[in-house]
Amino acid sequence: MSASKSVLRTCLNTRQPSLLPRVQCRHESTARRHRKLLALPEAPSYTPSTSAPSLIFNPPSSAPSVYHTPLKFLPKDDKRRQMYSQALSASSTAALRHKTSPVAAPGTPLSSASHLPPRPSAALPAPVRTPYNKKYHLTEAQIAEIRNLRLGDPDKWTRVKLAEKFGCSQFFVGMVVKVPEKAARVEAEHQSMREKWGKRRREAREERERRKVLWGRDL
Amino acid sequence: MKRIPLSRCASQLQAAPSPRRPSCLYQAQRSIAARSNRTQARYQTTVSIPNDGELEVELPEEPSLVAGQTAKPRIRQTRWPTPLEKLPSPHPSSAERSVKLHALRSRLALPKRFPLQTLARTLVHPSADPNAAFNNASLSILGRHLLGYYTTEWLMCNYPRLPMAVVFSAVDAYIGPKALATVASEWGIEAAAEPGGEVDPGLLQFRRIQSGGDLPASLRRQAPWSWNVTTTHKIMKTDEFGSDSAAPSPHALSSTPVPMEEAAQSFVRALVGALHLQLGAPLVKRFFRDHFTSRHLDISTLFDFRTPTRDLSKLCAREGFEAPVARLISETGRLSRHPVFVVGVYSGKDKLGEGAGSSLDEARTRAAAAALKAWYLYRPLEVTVPSSTEGELDTSKWRPNMVDCGEVIV
Repeated sequence: MSASKSVLRTCLNTRQPSLLPRVQCRHESTARRHRKLLALPEAPSYTPSTSAPSLIFNPPSSAPSVYHTPLKFLPKDDKRRQMYSQALSASSTAALRHKTSPVAAPGTPLSSASHLPPRPSAALPAPVRTPYNKKYHLTEAQIAEIRNLRLGDPDKWTRVKLAEKFGCSQFFVGMVVKVPEKAARVEAEHQSMREKWGKRRREAREERERRKVLWGRDL
Repeated sequence: MKRIPLSRCASQLQAAPSPRRPSCLYQAQRSIAARSNRTQARYQTTVSIPNDGELEVELPEEPSLVAGQTAKPRIRQTRWPTPLEKLPSPHPSSAERSVKLHALRSRLALPKRFPLQTLARTLVHPSADPNAAFNNASLSILGRHLLGYYTTEWLMCNYPRLPMAVVFSAVDAYIGPKALATVASEWGIEAAAEPGGEVDPGLLQFRRIQSGGDLPASLRRQAPWSWNVTTTHKIMKTDEFGSDSAAPSPHALSSTPVPMEEAAQSFVRALVGALHLQLGAPLVKRFFRDHFTSRHLDISTLFDFRTPTRDLSKLCAREGFEAPVARLISETGRLSRHPVFVVGVYSGKDKLGEGAGSSLDEARTRAAAAALKAWYLYRPLEVTVPSSTEGELDTSKWRPNMVDCGEVIV
């Protein structure tokens, strides 16, 4: 703790005239003292609590291997299910005794280990998009109305507007009714816009498409 | 080179134990024969030719060639009435004298009882010698089926959930034509410039394509008919690599120039077939494990999902899991030029996969792809391949393998 106090002292002592530019100043009289001052204690995950030799497990944050099958994907008769449940019960009994380390709090890479099930004390992270349940609330009559509106005036009743009106997804509107003429017209418009692109923009878009294909390979 | 039998190396360094050896040759042969019954087994897989001095190879002799032969030494002339250059491939009896064949047999750690004549025959491609009794066509057909059987069974027992397309490409990566050609070149197989009877039998004998020449018609790739592109067609009608059309039979390639890859793969296949015939299945299985399964292949790189998020939700619905939800595990630099998002796909409280990307969509897609890979790359803990119990009466070691219901079809 002495090192931390001295760091605090250096921070407090840096009082400078406001009009001068901020330059580095050391308030230790020798380089050796300053080096000693900056020798901070190690991270708590590296510091063993006891003097006895102990195992330090501090993996770097990396994507978990796909060869570690998650618990849910294991077949019923796989031995690993039993081993995982034993590990889970062990970690839950330990969680009652110990609090989750601040290093392993949610939001940090250590919050859930790659191959072990998450700690019961750790909360699930926030979803990327708001989860929703499918409603299946539209009747045949409403679907026919969607069709009539869309075929009657496809420029006024776009997929977005119909989806808002009937409380369904745009994808569903597209499934229910297709207007190939409008699709061809819009595609021709987009194509004419694309032809106006310069070299840089075109190459950047093509590059982006190529990168997007690699998402599914997860390389 | 996989293993060097130490005893053989050590015996090379030692002095010859001459006083123990019986001086009589016949006695020595008898004592060897008494020691092991296997050496009595017939060595030759080629048609046996009586090699007792009056060897005659039936070939139309031209007067000019016979006249040119008078320059050769007399002993040679009595043994070889026809010039060696007239033979399409090296004579089986010259295999014992080939240093290359001895070296190859030692390099592959094959036992001494594997005859060099057979090894020499596996090196003769049908394009060099159209005579089926002297080329490796029949052996390579056998070896191809053995390799396909062992590889496919190993893959399907170890990764029971692999989709068919990935199985095809994994088999191709292990024992495909390119892989076998690489294996042959790693074994130190060199090709003869031109096949013939006078060439060292330790060289790969095949007829090369002239530079600038086209591939033979049977090897040229043909676009499949539009109704022949399904996976079922690939399983039923074509080869084990899921090609568009079946590869030509080795017998069909006789006397047509072929690329070196074709000749090298036929050699490796023929060697496996010959080992199976001469040494038996257990040794072939060990050979296969040492030279093929021991190669590292990261199967997770063979996957290519077009719509991973949709596939994953279909999979969860099929298996009765909760619908997958993408959750943001951590992020950095959301408003910067290079943000990084780490997204996990969760089903209920279980994390199925995790992915990192520079946009939320990318990370979500990658996480779904990782989750699908984790499903497909499931590996049972204990695996007994069916071929390991061949010919064994004791079936207590047998564990039934898992058979999955199949890949996700969207």
